[in-house]
Amino acid sequence: MAVAESESVFTPATSRNTRGMLRVIILALIAAAAVSSRLFSVIRFESIIHEFDPWFNFRATKYLVQNGFYSFWDWFDDRTWHPLGRVTGGTLYPGLMVTSGVIYHALRFLTLPVDIRNICVLLAPGFSGLTALATYLLTSEMVTSPSAGLLAAAFMGITPGYISRSVAGSYDNEAIAIFLLVFTFFLWIKAVKNGSMFWGALTALFYGYMVSAWGGYVFITNLLPLHAFVLICMGRYSARLYVSYTSWYALGTLASMQIPFVGFLPIRSSEHMSSLGVFGLIQLVAFVDYVRAQLPSKQFQTLLRAIVLFVFVVAFGGLVLLTVSGVIAPWTGRFYSLWDTGYAKIHIPIIASVSEHQPTAWPAFFFDLSMMIWLFPAGVYMCFKRLTDEQVFIVIYAVLASYFAGVMVRLMLTLTPIVCVASAMAFSQILDTYLDTKTPKVDSKETGSSDAAKVAAAAVLPDGLRSTRKPVVGIYSYASKLTVVGASAVYLLLFVLHCTWVTSNAYSSPSVVLASRLPDGSQHIIDDYREAYYWLRQNTPDNAKIMSWWDYGYQIGGMADRPTLVDNNTWNNTHIATVGKAMSSREEVSYPIMRQHEVDYVLVVFGGLLGYSGDDINKFLWMVRIAEGIWPEEVKERNFFTPRGEYRVDEEATPTMKNSLMYKMSYYNYNSLFPAGQAQDRVRGARLPAQGPELSTIEEAFTSENWIIRIYKVKDLDNFGRDHQSATSFEKGHKKKRTAKRKGPRVLRVD
Amino acid sequence: MRWLFSFVLATLLAAVHAVSYTGSRLLVVLEDAAEKEKYGVFLGDLESRGYHITTESPKSDKLSLFKHGERAYDHVLLLPSKAKGLGPALTANLLLEFMKKEGNILLALSSENGTPSSVNSLLLELDIHIPSDKGAVVVDHFNYDSTSAAEKHDVLLLPFPKALRPDVKNYFGGEGVIAVPRAVGQVLGNDSPLLAPVLRAPSTAYSYNPKDESDIVEDPFAVGAQLNLVSVLQAHNSARLAVLGSAEVLQNAWFAEKATLNGQAVKTANRDFSEKLTSWTFKETGVLKVGKLLHYQDEGVSKKLNTSGALPENNPQIYRIKSDVAFQVELSEYSKTHLVPFVPADSDVVQLEFSMLSPFHRLNLTPISKTANATIFGVSFKTPDQHGIFNFRVNYRRPFLTNIEEKRQVTVRHFAHDEWPRSWQISGAWVWIGGIWVTVFGWLAFVAVWLWSAPAEKTVKKTQ
Repeated sequence: MAVAESESVFTPATSRNTRGMLRVIILALIAAAAVSSRLFSVIRFESIIHEFDPWFNFRATKYLVQNGFYSFWDWFDDRTWHPLGRVTGGTLYPGLMVTSGVIYHALRFLTLPVDIRNICVLLAPGFSGLTALATYLLTSEMVTSPSAGLLAAAFMGITPGYISRSVAGSYDNEAIAIFLLVFTFFLWIKAVKNGSMFWGALTALFYGYMVSAWGGYVFITNLLPLHAFVLICMGRYSARLYVSYTSWYALGTLASMQIPFVGFLPIRSSEHMSSLGVFGLIQLVAFVDYVRAQLPSKQFQTLLRAIVLFVFVVAFGGLVLLTVSGVIAPWTGRFYSLWDTGYAKIHIPIIASVSEHQPTAWPAFFFDLSMMIWLFPAGVYMCFKRLTDEQVFIVIYAVLASYFAGVMVRLMLTLTPIVCVASAMAFSQILDTYLDTKTPKVDSKETGSSDAAKVAAAAVLPDGLRSTRKPVVGIYSYASKLTVVGASAVYLLLFVLHCTWVTSNAYSSPSVVLASRLPDGSQHIIDDYREAYYWLRQNTPDNAKIMSWWDYGYQIGGMADRPTLVDNNTWNNTHIATVGKAMSSREEVSYPIMRQHEVDYVLVVFGGLLGYSGDDINKFLWMVRIAEGIWPEEVKERNFFTPRGEYRVDEEATPTMKNSLMYKMSYYNYNSLFPAGQAQDRVRGARLPAQGPELSTIEEAFTSENWIIRIYKVKDLDNFGRDHQSATSFEKGHKKKRTAKRKGPRVLRVD
Repeated sequence: MRWLFSFVLATLLAAVHAVSYTGSRLLVVLEDAAEKEKYGVFLGDLESRGYHITTESPKSDKLSLFKHGERAYDHVLLLPSKAKGLGPALTANLLLEFMKKEGNILLALSSENGTPSSVNSLLLELDIHIPSDKGAVVVDHFNYDSTSAAEKHDVLLLPFPKALRPDVKNYFGGEGVIAVPRAVGQVLGNDSPLLAPVLRAPSTAYSYNPKDESDIVEDPFAVGAQLNLVSVLQAHNSARLAVLGSAEVLQNAWFAEKATLNGQAVKTANRDFSEKLTSWTFKETGVLKVGKLLHYQDEGVSKKLNTSGALPENNPQIYRIKSDVAFQVELSEYSKTHLVPFVPADSDVVQLEFSMLSPFHRLNLTPISKTANATIFGVSFKTPDQHGIFNFRVNYRRPFLTNIEEKRQVTVRHFAHDEWPRSWQISGAWVWIGGIWVTVFGWLAFVAVWLWSAPAEKTVKKTQ
């Protein structure tokens, strides 16, 4: 905007140089703003890895840095999924760890030894600066206006939809993947525009990087073919498209197959079939096009389209056939839940139990995108005005990403870049129209300065409509200019305020450390998680096996450095169900399971004292459901609800609930904190039974300060071969009763 | 200071040099000091075997099984007392606690004195059942001593017990007859694998209560071989409890007494039997010791187990699937004074499990070699085609032998990326490798042909 104003002051050459200079400075400032707005958590708390998944990535990165790339590649992790272990090197996306490892070694090479933890913490903010740059490049390809790119970069830099996954400490795959996503799209657009094999190859290269970094690469794998397919269907096939698509597909597929986790998926799984299909189709189209060049004919176009449709139908039929016959891997559950939001709930509780796989609530859109939520459609609509090849891409991307963002919360992330691009296009159009200081020449008397709204509408509306067919001449009045520009400036300011507020309040909590306010307003840190994990680290043997619900697996592995039974890499549903069964069954049932899995300690999260709602009793139904999926006879969800269908923990709770290991572990000894009969669960607002649960097969080992984490030790077999219940009752002084007169024949002992 | 230290060390060494494997402090609980005389020979025998005997009355205030939370004695011999209770120092819970800390108990019952309530509940808890009434004795009308019990038939004369099963070693065998006067018969529960009978009543014996004549015909407490005169329990931690049905077996009066069995004059061998019983109970016999475990990747060179105690086991932590692994373990058995190489019973073997959740291999260990006091058992096998965290596990539990439960956790990893055979080594891949090269050369040839023929093509195109 400032750029446009300075135009009249300088000669064209100086002006161009100054504008270039300013652009660089502005971009640098945007990158700096993007980085700094992500540092709330570091400043408020400390430089710490957040949440759950980042802890695994951090642990893997440390392994990579310590042991080198090849042993990382072949890493067999014997400290997770006990006793199965995990072929970690072959079941992860190594892009993130390798990136940090490269940065780490590069800095060391420059004699700047930086702790690997700090690199991991600050990687996401660093890459968000690059994402802003990539967004600038992508937007600049879309429109001629230079301000659109800068606006898009600024939007991308601070929009909460992206910040939610890239604050400092959020060391997740998305941290670098969004940059790669946007940059790959930029390269693709460049390739399509230029028809250049070089840009196509670069697209493939970054696509390969993206594959190595995030499972969301499938979005690119499907979006690029869809773009190509739509262009073909629009009759816009060109040699440029052919060159860019084939060079991307061939090289990109080869690149993606180099990642062990992906392996042969690109030619075997249904999710990748569209790109293969379009690859085949584009060959046919190229051939037909060649034939048409040789044999010009009026009817040829009709024939061509018929062929295209026919081939598409045949290919699709073949795909279905191969999928049904099992040659191509069937669609995974996560993909089914993309089409049918109720699918996961019914069939795969493990997927439904993850909060980020839930459908998005509508306020989330405004929360994450703020004013862009209404600028976005305007930008997409503007794309229809000219509808060049790259603008078709915007439209497709916008439609697909909007749908997916509505289905799954985490996919808001893929929507954000296109929202930024589209809204920047709309916004820059407004600014370009109203910030022009030159008064346009009067061509038509009909358009008066008083009718500013109409002109503004005309600026964004296409020529196709009759009402706008009259020539647009511009805005005369400084008053209207000032009003609109002022309003826009206010919007922008509000946007910044909103973004900063959301970032600071919603997305900057490490969730490992909880913060609360004391009555006097001062901050109080609740550090129970780390307290418990360090207790484990310092008081248990190095290979003590910890059983907990899978949410805490990565954190235990990362912070307590102890083997876990299940963790957030939910690859083995049965093993998770086993843990779920152990948690939801009676002690007598759970104990053999724990013995078999060599469990030494059981860890539960209990929020009843503090009112911390994300605790295990609230997650308990998921454990029950997942266990029921494997053992429908032994674990029944219905038994955890009262006859009236309520999920209760108080006196009215069902016997199954009261006898479950999870219930007992959560409320064991909880009574002792309260006067008799006054025990209160502050999360569920329930008064607990006067008589607390009793444990016999496990014993309390540790309870953190605010009772959030409770750790129990699994007892050894009873020394005298009794079951634990009778052993405990004997210790309490209940003597065994001599059995009364036996009924029936005696059972003789045979030695 | 140093001389003091060496003095303490010397006394400790002397203490350790007792005949028992675990320790020599023996507590004899005896109510009436006068009764000590009756057990004089027996106690003298124990003392001569190196035990430091402390005799206490259950009523004594000083009596405590523990000191500073640790065992104050290694073994306890509970002789029958007239009192109904044994006092606060010998409750059933404390006796169990004593066994949890690996103390051994020899419990002698007597039909004349009622069983104290704490012993009663202890036995009930351990699934050993004795008649509830005072005075019930084991009677046998065929194997009784006609010299002393011509009328009542309640002094049984029995041969030394045979091995319990062919695969179990016998630590109680001997020559002669054992006199068991007025015994309290025990019945062992069905479920507990920790219990084992030592001396069973003959098939003609039955439990008889002189006070309650009517009941015995309809529902005797137990009859025949179900009735045990001496039975033992060995807990998971190998603490031992022996229940002797008749304390009189240990008394001088029966140690080498003349008796008559079915008209034949015999001499009782109770001294021999009580020696066998106490030496087993107090861990002089039947104690197994695991030395070192060795496992290694079998690359054709067999390694030798280093039996020196000074060096730690230095075994690999990780193996690969489908690789050859050798395993060795050193086992000794303690025999009265020293460790000897362990030899399992004839039809018995020690087994090795290679397990993850459940055993993938369960293999018989064969003796490879013997050292002065240990047998080295070994076996070689191939790791299964399943990666994970496995255990080398030797779980050897046999009646009368202390339990062996040894685990060594190892990781079995998958093939590393460079451990697969190269593509050209797989004959099936030759077609595809050939295909690749044909494509490469074909393309090069095509390019060459295309380039050479290019100008001619161009002119044709232009005309169109």
